[in-house]
Amino acid sequence: MTTTDHRRPSADDPRVLLDEQVGMYEPVPPYPPRTEREAEFYTLGDGQLLINIGPHHPATHGVMRVVMKLSGETIVDLDPVLGYLHRGVEKLCENADLHQTIAYLDPLEYVSSLFCEWPAVMAYEKLLDVEVPRRAEYIRVLTGELNRVSSHLLAMGFHALDLGGLTPILYSFIERDEIVEMLASITGQRMLFNYFRIGGVNGDLNHEFMSRLGDWMSRATEQIEANVGLLNENEIFVRRNRGVGVMDPELAIKMCWTGPNLRASGVPFDIRRAHPYSVYPELDFDIPTRLEGDSLARYLLRVDEVKQSLRIIDQCLHQMPDGPVMAKLPRLLRPRPGRAFAAVEGPRGEYAIYAVSDGTDQPFRFRIHDPSFLHLQSFGRLVPGKLIADWMTVNASLDPIMGGIDK
Amino acid sequence: MTADERGAVGDGADDLVVPSAGQPAGPSSALVVPGATAVAAPIVVRNELWSAADATAYDGGRASDITHLAELEASGIASRDDARWSGVLEIIPTKADYVLDLLRANSLWPLLSGLACCAFEMMSSATSKNDIDRFGMFPFRASPRQADVLIVAGTLTTKMAGPLVRIWEQMPEPKWCVAMGDCTCSGGRYKRSYSTVEGIDRVMPVDVYVPGCPPRPEGLIYGMMKLQQLVKDRRGHWPERAVGPTVPESV
Amino acid sequence: MDRAIRQRLEERFGEVLAGPVRQRHDETEIRIEPKDVPEVLRALYDEPAFRFQLLGDLAGVDTGDSMQVVYHLWSTTSPDWLRVIAIGLDRDAPRAPSIVSLWPGAEWLEREAYDMFGIVFEGNRDLRRIFMPPDYKSFPLRKDFFLPDDAARSPGAGVRPMEATHAPRNTPAGAVRRGGT
Repeated sequence: MTTTDHRRPSADDPRVLLDEQVGMYEPVPPYPPRTEREAEFYTLGDGQLLINIGPHHPATHGVMRVVMKLSGETIVDLDPVLGYLHRGVEKLCENADLHQTIAYLDPLEYVSSLFCEWPAVMAYEKLLDVEVPRRAEYIRVLTGELNRVSSHLLAMGFHALDLGGLTPILYSFIERDEIVEMLASITGQRMLFNYFRIGGVNGDLNHEFMSRLGDWMSRATEQIEANVGLLNENEIFVRRNRGVGVMDPELAIKMCWTGPNLRASGVPFDIRRAHPYSVYPELDFDIPTRLEGDSLARYLLRVDEVKQSLRIIDQCLHQMPDGPVMAKLPRLLRPRPGRAFAAVEGPRGEYAIYAVSDGTDQPFRFRIHDPSFLHLQSFGRLVPGKLIADWMTVNASLDPIMGGIDK
Repeated sequence: MTADERGAVGDGADDLVVPSAGQPAGPSSALVVPGATAVAAPIVVRNELWSAADATAYDGGRASDITHLAELEASGIASRDDARWSGVLEIIPTKADYVLDLLRANSLWPLLSGLACCAFEMMSSATSKNDIDRFGMFPFRASPRQADVLIVAGTLTTKMAGPLVRIWEQMPEPKWCVAMGDCTCSGGRYKRSYSTVEGIDRVMPVDVYVPGCPPRPEGLIYGMMKLQQLVKDRRGHWPERAVGPTVPESV
Repeated sequence: MDRAIRQRLEERFGEVLAGPVRQRHDETEIRIEPKDVPEVLRALYDEPAFRFQLLGDLAGVDTGDSMQVVYHLWSTTSPDWLRVIAIGLDRDAPRAPSIVSLWPGAEWLEREAYDMFGIVFEGNRDLRRIFMPPDYKSFPLRKDFFLPDDAARSPGAGVRPMEATHAPRNTPAGAVRRGGT
């Protein structure tokens, strides 16, 4: 091989020489491998090539970059590169008041913001030994389950979108718009709600919310059945998803999977029943579980969970007690020095916060645990030997949200 | 139409206004490159991480002998404003210019550049309830080569700044940029963070700022209509736009 | 508050515990030395009395004098979350054993702890930065890494320096090395 200059000027901007741009243009990084895994991955065998998917890509659920080692079109291995949305939330929370941290947490899993706030307020309530009024707990569950429905419907829409079906996403967004307008009438915001407070919620339910909710609930079941029916019987969708990305239950537990992805592999672990919090012990709902562990099972499980969430919402509306929505707390909160861990069952899995307090009004350490972070790690176990299109299916069915993964 | 315009553009004599050098910013302007303001000098991020074991590898570190593109850039031909379909002395727009601006305004094709939460409100503005298809903006192109508008929706981090500027550069002229959301306008709630870029106007020229966290879909539609107005008024045409925040130093 | 698990932990791990078993609300906490982490977690994983097979979280903590690695585990044998804190990691060269052999899913969690604190996990085959760019020099969540204060600089200044100005109010006294990064 003749010695050519390894660096070439960019075709778009000749001022830029490509070799020195770290990790941006060529999949192979321009430095020697630093770890065993990197060396093993970036050593190409016979007939293998590396391609780069992302970070700007319509189907990576945000900004994620995946370096794939291919042999033809079959994936041999892949290396996800994260950090394109790392905003330094944990550090920012260390410099903020307890109340301000709630606002920092919303944009993490932006489609299910309330589940990002929930473990934080639970952890602080443990540190402050605060009793949350029952009405506030019921409102939290009600709005949380609405958010879960919206998130799962979006996940289903994006699942279809990534596979090329452009219609179901529009139906998902109709439902999402309605739910989000409902939540906007009590929280004031369509998306990053900032609604939960330490000791309760920010405001009581109001007339507009109840009327919108009533309207929506009256036609929710048939509407969702109709939307989901677009995909359940669709041969292309089913054939692309069945048998793709099968996850073994023991391996799923070892890879620290939680949430619908774990339950679709046959492990009936749901934090709402395994480690109950809030008023879930008083509510009657099932934990749907499926045994196949493939992408179709993950999709169908989300459909089942939506139905269970509708049941929970119904019960919340009937059992809602009267009372205050916020506990009486001083304005300046100084929790006791100590540590608290709280985990909730979010739409993607176990969303947890580990808060360390040193007695001041700022958290000393604010650790955010996101479930999709661990789901992405398992790409290397699920897709080798399959085609790129199957990777797309697996990615869509795992439903990652890069905001939460990158924090 | 095209032959005439191409003749006029290729003339060179019409270019009375020479666009100022130094913009649009290179992809590494979000990283530390002090003093690299000469157009002809390549922006090279020096390799300080390692040195090759073999001294003759990588061509011994010599400069590249592929210079045609650098010469092209230095000659200034590439920075000319090729999209103006110039009218008389570039001052009086002709009817063709007016019609072309109308065409551009009514079919602005956005690029899918949803980085974070604002992407969801952008998608919400594209779907059934708040439909920007009625403004001609439905096809959200995935490829920058086919897009007109870059709607940056979501926080820009220093790691993503490079790819985003690269995307901006890959978009052919005429192109516009909309900064959607507080994080792209000014850094937003992540302004103090160690890894975010405080507003995309630090790395690329912005035409319309849509504040909000996230802005409602109606807000984004308002911003897009402002952009349509901009296009029709031929204001803020991209070569003259400045890179850098527009907040004065003393603030 | 599960008294039974506390008793079992004290009986089984009494010698290696570096402090009493603490309990509050629905969490039980034990503290151990980093060198005991693999055997303690292996015992918690395998033994039928414990069976803590679900890893909830792996976090690094910088306490100002030292660093810690905190594991949260869950089991069907106890209604509490179990928190295992490996205390006393050196702040300047923190090293801890890796638990990738028990939970392969911990690989990325350890990568994140390395990226944010600099904690080197021995046994992790893939210990490189995960969030920050690969040539980044600092460890952002350490207590001697300060966020820039935006009032101190003009917004037109261009690129931000990574470390600057002031420390957060709750930085412990020993962590701050003024006049150096």
